[in-house]
Amino acid sequence: MPAETHVERNPLTRAEILEMVRGLLADILGIEPDTIAEGSSFTDDLGAASLELIELVEGLEEELGERSIELRIEDSDLADLKTVRDAVDFVFERVGGR
Amino acid sequence: MLPVAVDVMGGDRSPGEILAGAHAAAADGIPVLLVGPPGLDGYGGLPVAEALEVIAMDEDPMKGVRNKKDSTLVRAAEAVRDGHASAMVSAGNTGATMASALLRMGRIRGVDRPAIATPIPVPGYVPNIMLDAGANAEVQAEWLVQFARMGSIYARHRFDIAAPKVGLLSIGEEPGKGDSLRKEAFGLLESAPGIEFIGNVEGRDLMKKTADVIVTDGFTGNVALKALEGGMRTLFAALLEAFGSEPGYKQHADALLPALLPLHAEMSPDTYGGAVLLGVKGICIISHGSSGSTAMRNAIALGHEMTQRGLVAEITAAFAAAD
Repeated sequence: MPAETHVERNPLTRAEILEMVRGLLADILGIEPDTIAEGSSFTDDLGAASLELIELVEGLEEELGERSIELRIEDSDLADLKTVRDAVDFVFERVGGR
Repeated sequence: MLPVAVDVMGGDRSPGEILAGAHAAAADGIPVLLVGPPGLDGYGGLPVAEALEVIAMDEDPMKGVRNKKDSTLVRAAEAVRDGHASAMVSAGNTGATMASALLRMGRIRGVDRPAIATPIPVPGYVPNIMLDAGANAEVQAEWLVQFARMGSIYARHRFDIAAPKVGLLSIGEEPGKGDSLRKEAFGLLESAPGIEFIGNVEGRDLMKKTADVIVTDGFTGNVALKALEGGMRTLFAALLEAFGSEPGYKQHADALLPALLPLHAEMSPDTYGGAVLLGVKGICIISHGSSGSTAMRNAIALGHEMTQRGLVAEITAAFAAAD
Protein backbone atom coordinates (compact mmCIF):
# COMPACT_ATOMS: atom_id res chain seq x y z
CA MET A 1 0.00 0.00 0.00
CA PRO A 2 1.47 3.39 -0.88
CA ALA A 3 2.39 5.59 2.05
CA GLU A 4 -0.24 8.12 2.97
CA THR A 5 1.07 11.58 2.34
CA HIS A 6 0.88 14.50 4.68
CA VAL A 7 -0.62 16.69 1.95
CA GLU A 8 -3.73 14.55 1.74
CA ARG A 9 -4.08 14.62 5.49
CA ASN A 10 -3.37 18.17 6.57
CA PRO A 11 -2.21 20.70 4.03
CA LEU A 12 -0.61 23.84 5.33
CA THR A 13 -1.11 27.25 3.81
CA ARG A 14 1.87 29.39 2.95
CA ALA A 15 0.79 31.88 5.62
CA GLU A 16 0.78 29.14 8.26
CA ILE A 17 4.28 28.11 7.26
CA LEU A 18 5.47 31.72 7.37
CA GLU A 19 4.00 32.08 10.85
CA MET A 20 5.72 28.88 11.95
CA VAL A 21 9.10 30.02 10.60
CA ARG A 22 8.74 33.44 12.23
CA GLY A 23 7.79 31.92 15.58
CA LEU A 24 10.72 29.53 15.58
CA LEU A 25 13.19 32.22 14.52
CA ALA A 26 11.90 34.61 17.16
CA ASP A 27 12.42 31.97 19.83
CA ILE A 28 15.89 31.04 18.59
CA LEU A 29 17.12 34.60 18.11
CA GLY A 30 15.34 36.14 21.08
CA ILE A 31 13.50 38.76 19.03
CA GLU A 32 9.85 39.60 18.37
CA PRO A 33 8.19 37.72 15.47
CA ASP A 34 6.84 40.91 13.90
CA THR A 35 10.38 42.20 13.42
CA ILE A 36 11.08 39.33 11.03
CA ALA A 37 10.18 40.25 7.44
CA GLU A 38 9.72 37.69 4.71
CA GLY A 39 12.58 39.23 2.79
CA SER A 40 14.94 39.23 5.79
CA SER A 41 18.32 37.68 5.14
CA PHE A 42 19.29 35.16 7.82
CA THR A 43 22.86 36.39 8.07
CA ASP A 44 22.75 40.07 7.08
CA ASP A 45 19.45 41.14 8.66
CA LEU A 46 18.90 38.65 11.46
CA GLY A 47 22.49 37.84 12.43
CA ALA A 48 21.82 34.11 12.26
CA ALA A 49 24.78 31.77 11.80
CA SER A 50 24.76 28.17 10.61
CA LEU A 51 23.93 26.96 14.12
CA GLU A 52 20.75 29.03 14.20
CA LEU A 53 19.77 27.67 10.76
CA ILE A 54 20.17 24.14 12.04
CA GLU A 55 18.03 25.03 15.05
CA LEU A 56 15.41 26.38 12.65
CA VAL A 57 15.26 23.31 10.43
CA GLU A 58 15.23 20.97 13.44
CA GLY A 59 12.41 23.05 14.88
CA LEU A 60 10.49 22.90 11.60
CA GLU A 61 10.91 19.12 11.37
CA GLU A 62 9.72 18.78 14.97
CA GLU A 63 6.69 21.07 14.63
CA LEU A 64 5.61 19.47 11.39
CA GLY A 65 6.14 16.05 12.93
CA GLU A 66 3.73 16.98 15.70
CA ARG A 67 1.15 17.55 12.95
CA SER A 68 2.00 14.16 11.44
CA ILE A 69 3.72 15.86 8.53
CA GLU A 70 7.06 14.33 7.72
CA LEU A 71 9.70 16.67 6.35
CA ARG A 72 13.41 16.08 6.16
CA ILE A 73 15.67 19.02 5.39
CA GLU A 74 19.13 17.82 4.45
CA ASP A 75 22.27 19.69 5.45
CA SER A 76 23.00 20.14 1.75
CA ASP A 77 19.74 22.12 1.41
CA LEU A 78 20.83 24.68 3.99
CA ALA A 79 23.12 26.54 1.60
CA ASP A 80 20.08 27.47 -0.54
CA LEU A 81 18.19 28.98 2.39
CA LYS A 82 19.39 32.57 2.54
CA THR A 83 16.19 34.41 3.46
CA VAL A 84 13.02 33.77 5.42
CA ARG A 85 11.21 33.58 2.08
CA ASP A 86 13.58 30.83 0.88
CA ALA A 87 12.77 28.77 3.97
CA VAL A 88 9.02 29.29 3.63
CA ASP A 89 9.10 28.41 -0.07
CA PHE A 90 11.21 25.35 0.62
CA VAL A 91 8.73 24.01 3.16
CA PHE A 92 5.63 25.04 1.18
CA GLU A 93 6.85 23.26 -1.96
CA ARG A 94 7.16 20.04 0.00
CA VAL A 95 4.24 20.08 2.41
CA GLY A 96 2.02 22.99 1.43
CA GLY A 97 -1.56 22.56 0.26
CA ARG A 98 -2.66 25.76 -1.36
CA MET B 1 10.16 14.60 42.07
CA LEU B 2 11.21 14.07 38.47
CA PRO B 3 14.04 11.61 37.70
CA VAL B 4 17.42 12.45 36.20
CA ALA B 5 17.72 10.99 32.67
CA VAL B 6 20.94 9.02 32.27
CA ASP B 7 22.42 8.16 28.87
CA VAL B 8 23.28 4.52 29.51
CA MET B 9 25.37 4.14 26.35
CA GLY B 10 27.51 7.29 26.71
CA GLY B 11 31.19 7.09 27.58
CA ASP B 12 34.17 4.81 27.22
CA ARG B 13 33.04 2.62 30.11
CA SER B 14 29.38 2.29 29.21
CA PRO B 15 27.10 0.66 29.96
CA GLY B 16 28.58 -1.13 33.00
CA GLU B 17 30.04 1.81 34.93
CA ILE B 18 27.19 4.11 33.92
CA LEU B 19 24.62 1.65 35.24
CA ALA B 20 26.61 1.14 38.44
CA GLY B 21 26.66 4.90 39.00
CA ALA B 22 22.94 5.16 38.28
CA HIS B 23 22.15 2.41 40.78
CA ALA B 24 24.34 4.12 43.38
CA ALA B 25 22.52 7.42 42.84
CA ALA B 26 19.16 5.66 43.09
CA ALA B 27 20.32 4.09 46.36
CA ASP B 28 21.09 7.63 47.56
CA GLY B 29 17.43 8.48 46.99
CA ILE B 30 17.73 10.29 43.65
CA PRO B 31 15.14 9.14 41.10
CA VAL B 32 16.77 7.99 37.88
CA LEU B 33 15.45 7.33 34.37
CA LEU B 34 17.77 5.15 32.32
CA VAL B 35 17.81 5.92 28.61
CA GLY B 36 19.09 2.95 26.66
CA PRO B 37 18.36 0.02 24.37
CA PRO B 38 15.69 -2.51 25.35
CA GLY B 39 16.66 -5.58 27.30
CA LEU B 40 20.10 -4.49 28.44
CA ASP B 41 21.51 -6.45 31.35
CA GLY B 42 21.90 -4.38 34.46
CA TYR B 43 18.78 -2.20 34.44
CA GLY B 44 17.82 -3.96 37.67
CA GLY B 45 14.34 -2.60 38.09
CA LEU B 46 15.11 1.07 37.44
CA PRO B 47 12.73 2.77 34.98
CA VAL B 48 13.91 2.73 31.37
CA ALA B 49 13.11 4.98 28.40
CA GLU B 50 13.99 2.98 25.32
CA ALA B 51 16.24 4.36 22.59
CA LEU B 52 17.50 2.17 19.80
CA GLU B 53 20.44 4.20 18.48
CA VAL B 54 23.77 5.35 19.88
CA ILE B 55 25.85 8.33 18.79
CA ALA B 56 29.44 7.15 18.86
CA MET B 57 32.18 9.04 20.67
CA ASP B 58 33.92 9.91 17.41
CA GLU B 59 30.79 10.69 15.38
CA ASP B 60 30.16 14.17 13.96
CA PRO B 61 28.03 15.72 16.71
CA MET B 62 25.51 17.68 14.68
CA LYS B 63 25.08 14.97 12.05
CA GLY B 64 24.70 12.40 14.79
CA VAL B 65 21.90 14.32 16.44
CA ARG B 66 20.20 15.22 13.15
CA ASN B 67 20.34 11.67 11.80
CA LYS B 68 19.83 9.58 14.94
CA LYS B 69 16.61 10.85 16.37
CA ASP B 70 16.11 7.65 18.34
CA SER B 71 19.51 7.84 20.01
CA THR B 72 20.03 7.69 23.76
CA LEU B 73 21.34 11.27 23.79
CA VAL B 74 18.44 12.76 21.83
CA ARG B 75 15.88 10.81 23.85
CA ALA B 76 17.47 11.94 27.12
CA ALA B 77 17.25 15.58 26.04
CA GLU B 78 13.65 15.06 24.94
CA ALA B 79 12.82 13.55 28.31
CA VAL B 80 13.87 16.86 29.93
CA ARG B 81 12.09 18.97 27.31
CA ASP B 82 8.87 16.98 27.63
CA GLY B 83 8.82 17.09 31.41
CA HIS B 84 9.62 13.43 31.99
CA ALA B 85 13.01 14.15 33.57
CA SER B 86 14.49 17.01 35.56
CA ALA B 87 17.98 16.84 34.05
CA MET B 88 20.08 14.80 31.65
CA VAL B 89 23.50 13.27 32.25
CA SER B 90 25.87 11.81 29.66
CA ALA B 91 29.50 10.78 29.49
CA GLY B 92 29.18 10.34 25.74
CA ASN B 93 30.17 12.46 22.77
CA THR B 94 30.50 15.97 24.23
CA GLY B 95 29.56 17.81 21.06
CA ALA B 96 26.55 15.60 20.51
CA THR B 97 25.45 16.01 24.13
CA MET B 98 25.61 19.75 23.67
CA ALA B 99 23.79 19.61 20.32
CA SER B 100 21.07 17.34 21.73
CA ALA B 101 20.45 19.70 24.62
CA LEU B 102 20.46 22.79 22.42
CA LEU B 103 18.28 21.40 19.65
CA ARG B 104 15.78 19.67 21.91
CA MET B 105 15.58 21.89 25.00
CA GLY B 106 16.27 25.17 23.19
CA ARG B 107 18.34 28.07 24.40
CA ILE B 108 17.37 30.58 27.04
CA ARG B 109 16.19 33.87 25.54
CA GLY B 110 19.05 36.35 25.42
CA VAL B 111 21.77 33.71 25.41
CA ASP B 112 23.65 33.76 22.10
CA ARG B 113 25.59 30.57 22.74
CA PRO B 114 25.45 28.00 25.53
CA ALA B 115 28.77 27.40 27.30
CA ILE B 116 30.30 24.49 29.17
CA ALA B 117 31.01 25.43 32.79
CA THR B 118 33.52 23.15 34.44
CA PRO B 119 34.83 23.09 38.01
CA ILE B 120 38.56 23.68 38.46
CA PRO B 121 39.75 22.30 41.80
CA VAL B 122 41.48 24.66 44.22
CA PRO B 123 43.24 22.90 47.12
CA GLY B 124 41.59 23.80 50.40
CA TYR B 125 38.74 25.77 48.85
CA VAL B 126 35.64 25.20 46.76
CA PRO B 127 36.52 24.88 43.07
CA ASN B 128 36.55 27.74 40.60
CA ILE B 129 34.20 27.68 37.63
CA MET B 130 35.72 28.06 34.19
CA LEU B 131 33.64 28.65 31.09
CA ASP B 132 33.64 28.06 28.21
CA ALA B 133 35.46 24.72 28.43
CA GLY B 134 34.88 23.76 24.82
CA ALA B 135 31.44 24.51 23.42
CA ASN B 136 32.46 27.48 21.27
CA ALA B 137 35.89 27.50 19.69
CA GLU B 138 35.34 31.06 18.51
CA VAL B 139 33.41 33.63 20.48
CA GLN B 140 32.40 37.28 20.41
CA ALA B 141 33.20 39.68 23.23
CA GLU B 142 29.49 40.00 24.13
CA TRP B 143 29.27 36.26 24.60
CA LEU B 144 32.02 36.38 27.20
CA VAL B 145 29.87 38.81 29.19
CA GLN B 146 27.00 36.33 28.94
CA PHE B 147 29.32 33.55 30.11
CA ALA B 148 30.30 35.71 33.08
CA ARG B 149 26.66 36.26 33.99
CA MET B 150 25.76 32.57 33.72
CA GLY B 151 28.93 31.46 35.49
CA SER B 152 28.28 33.81 38.40
CA ILE B 153 24.79 32.40 38.90
CA TYR B 154 26.14 28.87 38.67
CA ALA B 155 28.88 29.59 41.24
CA ARG B 156 26.23 30.85 43.64
CA HIS B 157 24.05 27.78 43.16
CA ARG B 158 26.84 25.27 43.11
CA PHE B 159 29.25 26.54 45.75
CA ASP B 160 27.19 29.09 47.70
CA ILE B 161 29.47 31.98 46.75
CA ALA B 162 27.37 35.08 47.42
CA ALA B 163 29.16 37.51 45.08
CA PRO B 164 31.46 35.50 42.80
CA LYS B 165 34.53 37.33 41.53
CA VAL B 166 34.87 37.08 37.74
CA GLY B 167 38.20 37.06 35.94
CA LEU B 168 38.92 37.18 32.22
CA LEU B 169 41.58 34.66 31.20
CA SER B 170 44.37 36.45 29.39
CA ILE B 171 48.15 36.67 29.12
CA GLY B 172 48.66 39.42 31.69
CA GLU B 173 46.81 41.12 34.51
CA GLU B 174 46.85 44.62 33.04
CA PRO B 175 43.76 45.73 31.10
CA GLY B 176 45.73 46.22 27.89
CA LYS B 177 47.02 42.65 27.81
CA GLY B 178 45.64 40.11 25.37
CA ASP B 179 44.29 40.02 21.85
CA SER B 180 41.56 42.26 20.44
CA LEU B 181 38.83 39.92 21.70
CA ARG B 182 40.14 40.08 25.28
CA LYS B 183 40.56 43.86 25.15
CA GLU B 184 37.01 44.38 23.91
CA ALA B 185 35.60 41.91 26.44
CA PHE B 186 37.51 43.63 29.25
CA GLY B 187 35.70 46.92 28.54
CA LEU B 188 32.31 45.24 28.32
CA LEU B 189 32.84 43.29 31.53
CA GLU B 190 33.97 46.40 33.40
CA SER B 191 30.70 48.14 32.65
CA ALA B 192 28.37 45.12 32.93
CA PRO B 193 25.92 45.51 35.82
CA GLY B 194 25.65 42.68 38.33
CA ILE B 195 29.03 41.13 37.50
CA GLU B 196 31.87 41.38 40.06
CA PHE B 197 34.60 41.75 37.45
CA ILE B 198 38.10 41.84 38.92
CA GLY B 199 40.03 42.13 35.65
CA ASN B 200 42.32 39.80 33.79
CA VAL B 201 43.63 36.60 35.33
CA GLU B 202 46.39 34.37 34.02
CA GLY B 203 46.72 30.64 33.59
CA ARG B 204 48.49 30.37 36.94
CA ASP B 205 45.34 31.72 38.62
CA LEU B 206 43.12 28.90 37.42
CA MET B 207 43.77 26.81 40.54
CA LYS B 208 43.99 29.75 42.95
CA LYS B 209 41.25 31.80 44.57
CA THR B 210 42.05 34.90 42.55
CA ALA B 211 38.68 34.65 40.86
CA ASP B 212 35.71 32.34 41.46
CA VAL B 213 34.57 32.41 37.84
CA ILE B 214 36.98 32.50 34.92
CA VAL B 215 35.65 33.27 31.45
CA THR B 216 37.33 32.48 28.17
CA ASP B 217 36.60 31.17 24.69
CA GLY B 218 35.99 27.45 24.28
CA PHE B 219 39.22 26.79 22.44
CA THR B 220 41.43 28.34 25.11
CA GLY B 221 39.28 26.89 27.89
CA ASN B 222 39.54 23.38 26.56
CA VAL B 223 43.30 23.63 26.11
CA ALA B 224 43.67 24.97 29.65
CA LEU B 225 41.44 22.26 31.11
CA LYS B 226 43.27 19.43 29.36
CA ALA B 227 46.63 20.92 30.35
CA LEU B 228 45.58 20.99 34.01
CA GLU B 229 44.14 17.47 33.93
CA GLY B 230 47.20 16.07 32.18
CA GLY B 231 49.59 17.95 34.45
CA MET B 232 47.89 16.74 37.62
CA ARG B 233 47.78 13.16 36.40
CA THR B 234 51.48 13.28 35.52
CA LEU B 235 52.34 14.85 38.87
CA PHE B 236 50.48 12.20 40.90
CA ALA B 237 52.04 9.41 38.83
CA ALA B 238 55.50 10.91 39.35
CA LEU B 239 54.88 11.16 43.10
CA LEU B 240 53.84 7.52 43.33
CA GLU B 241 56.89 6.48 41.31
CA ALA B 242 59.16 8.53 43.56
CA PHE B 243 57.65 6.93 46.66
CA GLY B 244 58.48 3.50 45.28
CA SER B 245 61.93 4.33 44.00
CA GLU B 246 63.77 3.33 47.20
CA PRO B 247 62.76 0.59 49.64
CA GLY B 248 63.19 2.96 52.56
CA TYR B 249 60.67 5.43 51.20
CA LYS B 250 57.72 3.10 51.60
CA GLN B 251 57.13 3.68 55.29
CA HIS B 252 57.28 7.44 54.75
CA ALA B 253 54.87 7.16 51.83
CA ASP B 254 52.50 5.08 53.96
CA ALA B 255 52.63 7.81 56.61
CA LEU B 256 51.78 10.47 54.02
CA LEU B 257 48.94 8.58 52.35
CA PRO B 258 46.21 9.74 54.78
CA ALA B 259 47.04 13.31 53.73
CA LEU B 260 47.51 12.57 50.04
CA LEU B 261 44.42 10.50 49.36
CA PRO B 262 41.92 13.25 50.25
CA LEU B 263 43.99 15.66 48.18
CA HIS B 264 43.85 13.25 45.26
CA ALA B 265 40.08 13.01 45.64
CA GLU B 266 39.81 16.80 45.80
CA MET B 267 41.75 17.10 42.55
CA SER B 268 39.92 14.31 40.71
CA PRO B 269 37.28 15.22 38.10
CA ASP B 270 35.26 12.23 39.32
CA THR B 271 34.54 14.07 42.56
CA TYR B 272 32.64 16.80 40.74
CA GLY B 273 30.75 14.55 38.35
CA GLY B 274 30.90 16.73 35.32
CA ALA B 275 30.47 20.08 33.68
CA VAL B 276 27.16 21.86 33.15
CA LEU B 277 25.96 23.22 29.83
CA LEU B 278 24.69 26.68 30.75
CA GLY B 279 22.27 28.61 28.56
CA VAL B 280 19.82 25.90 27.53
CA LYS B 281 16.31 25.49 28.92
CA GLY B 282 17.16 22.51 31.08
CA ILE B 283 19.93 20.96 33.13
CA CYS B 284 22.50 19.08 31.05
CA ILE B 285 25.48 17.50 32.77
CA ILE B 286 28.41 16.61 30.53
CA SER B 287 30.64 14.04 32.19
CA HIS B 288 34.14 13.00 31.26
CA GLY B 289 34.30 10.30 28.60
CA SER B 290 36.25 8.04 30.96
CA SER B 291 33.73 8.44 33.79
CA GLY B 292 33.33 5.50 36.13
CA SER B 293 30.56 4.77 38.58
CA THR B 294 31.69 7.38 41.13
CA ALA B 295 31.75 10.15 38.53
CA MET B 296 28.30 9.13 37.27
CA ARG B 297 26.86 8.98 40.75
CA ASN B 298 28.16 12.50 41.42
CA ALA B 299 27.01 13.77 38.04
CA ILE B 300 23.47 12.51 38.67
CA ALA B 301 23.53 14.12 42.13
CA LEU B 302 24.70 17.37 40.54
CA GLY B 303 21.88 17.31 37.98
CA HIS B 304 19.38 16.67 40.74
CA GLU B 305 20.78 19.41 42.96
CA MET B 306 20.88 22.05 40.23
CA THR B 307 17.25 21.27 39.41
CA GLN B 308 16.24 21.57 43.04
CA ARG B 309 18.04 24.91 43.29
CA GLY B 310 16.33 26.35 40.23
CA LEU B 311 19.48 27.12 38.25
CA VAL B 312 17.76 27.41 34.86
CA ALA B 313 14.98 29.60 36.23
CA GLU B 314 17.47 32.04 37.71
CA ILE B 315 19.55 32.28 34.54
CA THR B 316 16.34 32.81 32.56
CA ALA B 317 15.24 35.58 34.92
CA ALA B 318 18.65 37.26 34.84
CA PHE B 319 18.70 37.39 31.05
CA ALA B 320 15.11 38.59 30.90
CA ALA B 321 16.02 41.42 33.26
CA ALA B 322 19.05 42.33 31.15
CA ASP B 323 17.00 42.28 27.92
